[in-house]
Amino acid sequence: MKTLIKVKPKDYKVGEIVKIDFMAMHPMESGMRKDKDTGQIVPAHFINEVNFFFNDKMLTKMVTWESLSVNPVLSISMKVSATGTLKVLAKDNKGDNVESSVAITPKG
Amino acid sequence: MERRSFLKGFGAVSACVALVPTIASAADEAKKVKGPNEMSVESALNAITGGKAVTPSSKVSLSAPEIAENGAVVPVKVSVESPMSANDYVKAIHVLATKNNNSRCANVYLTPANGEATFATRIKLGSTQDVLAVAEMSNGTFLSAKQNVKVTIGGCG
Amino acid sequence: MHKLSICTALFSLALCGILNAEESMSMNAADKAMYAEMLENNPAAMDIAEGEELFNAQIGQEAYAKMLGVSVKDLPKTIAGFPRLVKAAGKVVTLSQSLQMAAAQQGKAVPKLESKEMVKMSGYVKSLANDLKTNIDVKVNKQMEEMVVLGKHIFEERRGGRGLSCNSCHSPDIIGSRLRMQELPDLGAPTTASASTWHAYRMTQSAMVSFDKRMQQCMKNALLAELPLGSKEMVALEVYVTNKGKGNTIQIPGLKR
Ligand code: HEC
Repeated sequence: MKTLIKVKPKDYKVGEIVKIDFMAMHPMESGMRKDKDTGQIVPAHFINEVNFFFNDKMLTKMVTWESLSVNPVLSISMKVSATGTLKVLAKDNKGDNVESSVAITPKG
Repeated sequence: MERRSFLKGFGAVSACVALVPTIASAADEAKKVKGPNEMSVESALNAITGGKAVTPSSKVSLSAPEIAENGAVVPVKVSVESPMSANDYVKAIHVLATKNNNSRCANVYLTPANGEATFATRIKLGSTQDVLAVAEMSNGTFLSAKQNVKVTIGGCG
Repeated sequence: MHKLSICTALFSLALCGILNAEESMSMNAADKAMYAEMLENNPAAMDIAEGEELFNAQIGQEAYAKMLGVSVKDLPKTIAGFPRLVKAAGKVVTLSQSLQMAAAQQGKAVPKLESKEMVKMSGYVKSLANDLKTNIDVKVNKQMEEMVVLGKHIFEERRGGRGLSCNSCHSPDIIGSRLRMQELPDLGAPTTASASTWHAYRMTQSAMVSFDKRMQQCMKNALLAELPLGSKEMVALEVYVTNKGKGNTIQIPGLKR
């Protein structure tokens, strides 16, 4: 599962609120789609858990479902409290999981 | 001139005939097959609130397009008015697609560290329907907002 | 003849609610703004990032610039002018073809034009020219002059079972009308900015698609014979259509229906 985390804007200070965007390459199969070639139902395969941590403290916990678009994008806010690491753990219903992180470096 | 207008009409027909049947049968298929996580909006709401009342409120703002030309990618943005302080914050934002087989899209559990109660994503909508956002407040109440999204089937290009 | 044309038009409207279908069924300005905002979070950004890794592993900017006969500093503006004459090839080539040449020169496996690797790699390389204007020059040499003439011919030639040409749907007097809810795009306008907005993420396909592949998709949908990627005809068509949008700012990856 390929992922990407973006923090916006690029420059921010302690106390300011930034936008965190998490993206993943994932088919998000609903379990209702028939494969065009085989005629078989494609089994459900979707990201079902995405957890955001800042300096190892839980920031936001998400339970997600197959109704999210293919290659989903999830955006939340975060109040910058210190320098540190934002970590995102994403899991899908087949047990695949990935950890990605980005440095939070406030200026001043 | 006449030849051109003939071509316009003809071009449109020819490019579309091929598409119409496949779209119709795909929709029929979708009706027959039940999803593995099927859940109606009523049951989903009940699971979220434990039967408590959900009050429509201007504190919750939900934006989604009025018309989505492609039901596979519908942008949805929710923000909830709140100080996000230790004892007054938004505990969770739930996004529901009221007519999807599984109405649940995302349950987002926030903390005061979020600073603002916002959540944005893109969802799939199987048909024209209401999108519902439910905010679970730290005082135990549930506020909501909804918006209707018309889903049109895209074209030939 | 006149009657026939009206009949056909009515028939087509009834069949799939197309040309000039009701405005009310298409997106309003606020909706469009929401989709435009999504550009910021384009899933294709992940493909571009992967393309960067691939490019750096297989070729690298220095080797690529050398193959093109330019300095690394001049790479972006050179990239903004594809398809172009590449001396080492002795002919007009697309960006992807030039990457194939560079990979071969490095003794690396040459990715196929239609491969996912190539789409990602060429997407990344084109993004190096982001914010520059498309600067294709169809008068700079004999080869380019020939290609744009051939490209125009292909754009206007009616082919395939339905006797359609690209021009049937993308000529100035039909642009903006609707075909099954979709506005027929002006391939040269700064707003739609065709060539400069591809590679783009197609929401209907949940994948990043290259410009030549997008043109192939139009051929397929309109039942025109599909020109193979990399063929002289396809390159000429890309020259012609890119030139329509000359001067438009390159913004890769785009986001499209
Ligand atoms: C039957 C009508 C039709 C024909 C014929 C046709 N197109 Fe298209 N084309 C469309 C429509 C409709 C769209 C926009 C679809 C959409 O919004 O997704 C489009 C989109 C495009 C785009 C993408 C524009 C953008 O930037 O979003 C390109 C490039 C293009 N066509 C090139 C061509 C070429 C080259 C040909 C000839 C080989 C061709 N088209 C033939 C109907 C047609």
